[in-house]
Amino acid sequence: MASDELPYATIRDIGARFRRRALSPVELTRALLERIERLDPGLHAFVTVTADRALADAKAAETALGRGDFSSPLLGIPVGYKDIYATRGILTTGGSALLADWIPTEDATCVTRLQRGGAVMLGKLITHEFAFGIQFPGHRFAAAKNPWDLERMPGGSSSGSGAALAAGLAFGALGSDTGGSIRGPASFCGIVGLKPTYGRCSRAGVLTLSWTLDHTGPMARTVEDCAYLLQALAGHDAADPASSREPVPDYVAPLSRGVRGLRVGVVREYFFEGIDPEVEKGFEQALATLRQLGATVEDVQIPDIQAAGAYTAILLAEAFAYHEHDLREHPERFGEILRERMLAGALITASEYVQAQRLRAQLRADMNAVLRRVDVLATPTSPKPAPTFTTVYDPEYGFPRGNTGPFNMTGLPALAVPCGFTAAGLPLSIQITGRPFDEATVLRVGHTYEQATSWRTRHPNL
Amino acid sequence: MTLEELRDRMKAARVEIAENRLELVRRLLTDALRPIHAMDSRKHRTLEPAVTFDAGRPRGDHGQ
Repeated sequence: MASDELPYATIRDIGARFRRRALSPVELTRALLERIERLDPGLHAFVTVTADRALADAKAAETALGRGDFSSPLLGIPVGYKDIYATRGILTTGGSALLADWIPTEDATCVTRLQRGGAVMLGKLITHEFAFGIQFPGHRFAAAKNPWDLERMPGGSSSGSGAALAAGLAFGALGSDTGGSIRGPASFCGIVGLKPTYGRCSRAGVLTLSWTLDHTGPMARTVEDCAYLLQALAGHDAADPASSREPVPDYVAPLSRGVRGLRVGVVREYFFEGIDPEVEKGFEQALATLRQLGATVEDVQIPDIQAAGAYTAILLAEAFAYHEHDLREHPERFGEILRERMLAGALITASEYVQAQRLRAQLRADMNAVLRRVDVLATPTSPKPAPTFTTVYDPEYGFPRGNTGPFNMTGLPALAVPCGFTAAGLPLSIQITGRPFDEATVLRVGHTYEQATSWRTRHPNL
Repeated sequence: MTLEELRDRMKAARVEIAENRLELVRRLLTDALRPIHAMDSRKHRTLEPAVTFDAGRPRGDHGQ
């Protein structure tokens, strides 16, 4: 493996090299830290690089490997954490001036679980302000850039996680997803992102945006790498009131079972409104590939899918409720766009919020009914490729609806997988959604498609 | 939602938003509330009970 390929190796490849003693965790971590030092000033993926901590973690992993401990596939694997995950003794900003000096005394549960697996902590990755605002020029925390085109957004709010993975600055990352904040950056950055089932991964120690919509989950460059991360993350956590006791299956072994005989339902209403022709073309080609691989692909209807738009009302109302004290006492410490969005949540009546939740219950029932007839749903992850910063910074730029929010409404597991590139070289992505707690099938479909294509072998020219 | 209704809501909620941003907020709320205002509230189920008790759960872990 050439040195310039090492940053894009898979977790499985790295583990094999560790076992052969062809590479050590300390060598790998040093290589990544040097790459971060060289490339990140132009990308702004990291808020904090924890070099000393990373080397200490790597030395501990090296010692364990030296004892012949190969029990965890994450042992010695360098990862980064979105900066809304609390990290004990390490600055955790939430991308906000309000928390610019916050040093948590506890780790988020997800951080603890990856550390127990032996992952090496490279640092904290930039997030949009409180996972919702946009960082305009002059913001205390500079916006991350899209490695495929530095004039474009990497998506958000897990912007640093998406940018770091696309640039080969980490082998895995944690994101959070309230309306698409894992899957959006995965789509725009040409990587893989999984929003697991609501309750599958703990949110304890993760800053809240909208508690009935918030999910945590893994981001990586391949579906298998995501599966390794999910395996370490999933499971009950009493510290998160939404955490499920559903048993955790093996997510890795079933990946190789293929898709022959699986039924893929394509939802066209809602998800194709305003779609870019290149996105549509890439998506249709992905469906053709799934058919060639043996899946049955058919269009399906979700009766009340337009109700999914009510997700924004739930998000705004809950975000305001959570941040109300600071919004009233320190409004100047919120970015202008974030403040406006959150204050809009104060203008939603109690009746409207309750009706939105009732629509959500209906949508969940409708979607679950469709998922009794098909194994997974497929849609484009985003109707458009990554926008330019110029577009997003336009004062008239609104709040995009997107294709990801409906699955935060329903809590279903949804995976974003690269499915091609535009003529201008921007990544495209397919979203695969499954039944509650059936991440295994979602990952299996994603992995089978991914392995039948070569999109994962392309990397940005940095 | 009209700008006048937006201002009424702001007054009731005791929040202030810059005058030059009101139109954007109006559009945001109009889009967010469209499905809610279009629904027939008689045709949708009520929400889950606020509290459920499950005898199968461990002691001290009843209720959500």
